[in-house]
Amino acid sequence: MAVRRYDLNKCIGCQNCVNICPMDVFRFDTASNKSVIAYPENCQSCGQCWLNCLGRSLYFDDEIHAFALTASR
Amino acid sequence: MSKDISRRDFLKSVTAGSAGLAAAGILGTTAFAEEETEAQTEAASSESTERVVTELDIPEAEAPDVTDYECDVLVVGGGFAGLFAAMSAKEAGSNVLLVDKGRPGYSGLSAWASSHNFFDEGYGDSKEEFEYAMMYSNEFLANIGWVQVWEEESKSVYEKCVELGILTQYTKGEDAGYWVDGTVQNDRLVDYHLDNIQYDRRLAFTKALNDQEIDYVEHTMIMDIIEEDGRIAGAIGMHVPSGTLITFRAKAVILCTGSGSYKPAGFPTGEDTFDGEYMGYMHGLPVTGQEFEDFHMSASYAPGNVLACNSWQYVENVWLCAPGGSTKENAAAKASGAAKSVITPVFDSAYGITPVDKYELVTGNGRGASTSEDESDPRTGKYSSAVFKGDVFGAAPGMFTHFAGGIFCGIDDTEGKTGIEGLWVAGDGTNGCMATGGTKGAPSGWTSNFAGVQGKMAGAAAAAYAGGVSLAEIPDEEISSLSEEILAPLSVEKGYDPNWARDILTSIMGPYWITIAKNETSLSSALDQIVQFRTDIIPKLRATSGHDLRLCHEMKHKALVAELKLRASLERKESRGYHFRTDYPYRDDDYLCYITLQKGDDDSVEINKVDIKDDWKGDQTMSYEDRYGAYFRFPGETEAKDLSETEASSW
Repeated sequence: MAVRRYDLNKCIGCQNCVNICPMDVFRFDTASNKSVIAYPENCQSCGQCWLNCLGRSLYFDDEIHAFALTASR
Repeated sequence: MSKDISRRDFLKSVTAGSAGLAAAGILGTTAFAEEETEAQTEAASSESTERVVTELDIPEAEAPDVTDYECDVLVVGGGFAGLFAAMSAKEAGSNVLLVDKGRPGYSGLSAWASSHNFFDEGYGDSKEEFEYAMMYSNEFLANIGWVQVWEEESKSVYEKCVELGILTQYTKGEDAGYWVDGTVQNDRLVDYHLDNIQYDRRLAFTKALNDQEIDYVEHTMIMDIIEEDGRIAGAIGMHVPSGTLITFRAKAVILCTGSGSYKPAGFPTGEDTFDGEYMGYMHGLPVTGQEFEDFHMSASYAPGNVLACNSWQYVENVWLCAPGGSTKENAAAKASGAAKSVITPVFDSAYGITPVDKYELVTGNGRGASTSEDESDPRTGKYSSAVFKGDVFGAAPGMFTHFAGGIFCGIDDTEGKTGIEGLWVAGDGTNGCMATGGTKGAPSGWTSNFAGVQGKMAGAAAAAYAGGVSLAEIPDEEISSLSEEILAPLSVEKGYDPNWARDILTSIMGPYWITIAKNETSLSSALDQIVQFRTDIIPKLRATSGHDLRLCHEMKHKALVAELKLRASLERKESRGYHFRTDYPYRDDDYLCYITLQKGDDDSVEINKVDIKDDWKGDQTMSYEDRYGAYFRFPGETEAKDLSETEASSW
């Protein structure tokens, strides 16, 4: 489960995702004024980028392909 | 309201709900679909509706202009502890600089506070009752010195939070029409959040820093503190996106770096990687509280999905709670409740989860509300919109019980002053103050407020110290040598990816026999693995970017603390609070102590026991059965201590 792109066209270049991601998942492409999901493997699925995406360019992949490890299963 | 549902049913419902939008993924697509209908109507045909889902190439991040800073007080971390440390030092006249690995307000655990508590005798809170409750419900390991500081200071931290806009109350999602069915797939979380964006407490952190003219540096990880002539001279950090090293020259440093864990994606502690504890330990400071495990739950139907469990409480108010429910009379009940939240999962672990996974649609219920019956008392308890709460222990395996583990400043300390001149520690997971005694006997909302209290104390003390000293000179060779060490993973040609290492570490530290139901064999075998990991893997971690460098160093921190946690767990040969040993399933008052670990010569780990104060040990003339057996019992305790069967021994 990680952040995914819903539509890059909708990215308005606000950089909220780049600035607030605690896991350094995003970069910003100045030339095209778009964010880049650079390291989705480090997404901690907190959803803050998605909740703060002003252009609504992001979404979350909620499919679980493998069990995330918890302490008791 | 309660509901049983199997994981299969859950996945089926998810699939059905998103069938028409399969290509667009699941979470949030419903909200997007509704939104898009409006947006498309608005935008008419002015733009193409063909979605672009491929990412651009990863661009290089711009390096920061400034790579050398000077200040009186350097605060590391921008959560509740860091914010209050910075404000308090600034107020005392210091030139303060705050550094955060991400952005203040969004980083660490402070971003996820959902309740806030303060002590107020004006509303009938009683120190005697509260201290008794903390002592007994935390099984006689609570640091009552810090509990008393909290009683004195918590209201001022609450009032400051109100002033800063961190505790602004607004209509919850259910009442405002955004709640649909309690699932992240269908609830309109994005709409609710963006419509109420002005109330987002996370924004209040940087606003507070700006308003108070406190400089801060973002996206920068402090890699090491620097000591010269036996006192603090500053720290060295790295701007993560660009991999640029930055020198911070400071008279005093306050570490507010949070906790850590060996987590799956299911709980947002990814940025917390024991950074402060690692630095303190490597500089010779003792750490404590390592053996007490966190208690947060995840969901068995979606253990990788933090939003499923906590969606609404992470976008709604920070709810105000009161300590009023913590009294002498109910100390036993609180201890029992806290312990059972661990013991139940112990049984689930031992016997496996039932085929029909259980989770509950939990609606706001006023948990933690004040008992003052005073209408002007704002502490109305948690009332978040209903969500499906987790049923599996271990959302963040390896995380310390709140305000147990971290750097130990001595049993009399109440400001976070470490053994290194000019270095203070504050906040959950960094200051190993054992205020909660390794059991979550503290009331809801205590953690966020107490982090602020500790920051406030450390900030004032550090500012007073900084006022009397000059900056220590840092030799250039010191900077070069540290830089070389930090950048070393960039030169590793054949090595290991830090993400692979993360998964190996999680596999060693995650299982329940390490975190929930421990024994000599399970801990010893894990320790062997960790020693191997630290010897073979850590020196060969490989990086090709600043992003990777951060991960490499985080892995080094997590691996060291893994070893410390295992050694402490082996040392405490009893069960108490959130430390359960299946081979010692009973309390042993010889362990009314804090176990400290300190770096010895040749990298050995020195282990010591610090006896706690007699005043904090409760009534030791009570029989074992009355003192412990009446509250709750660990599995096997009744038999081991030959206790009579009571309600406390049945599960």
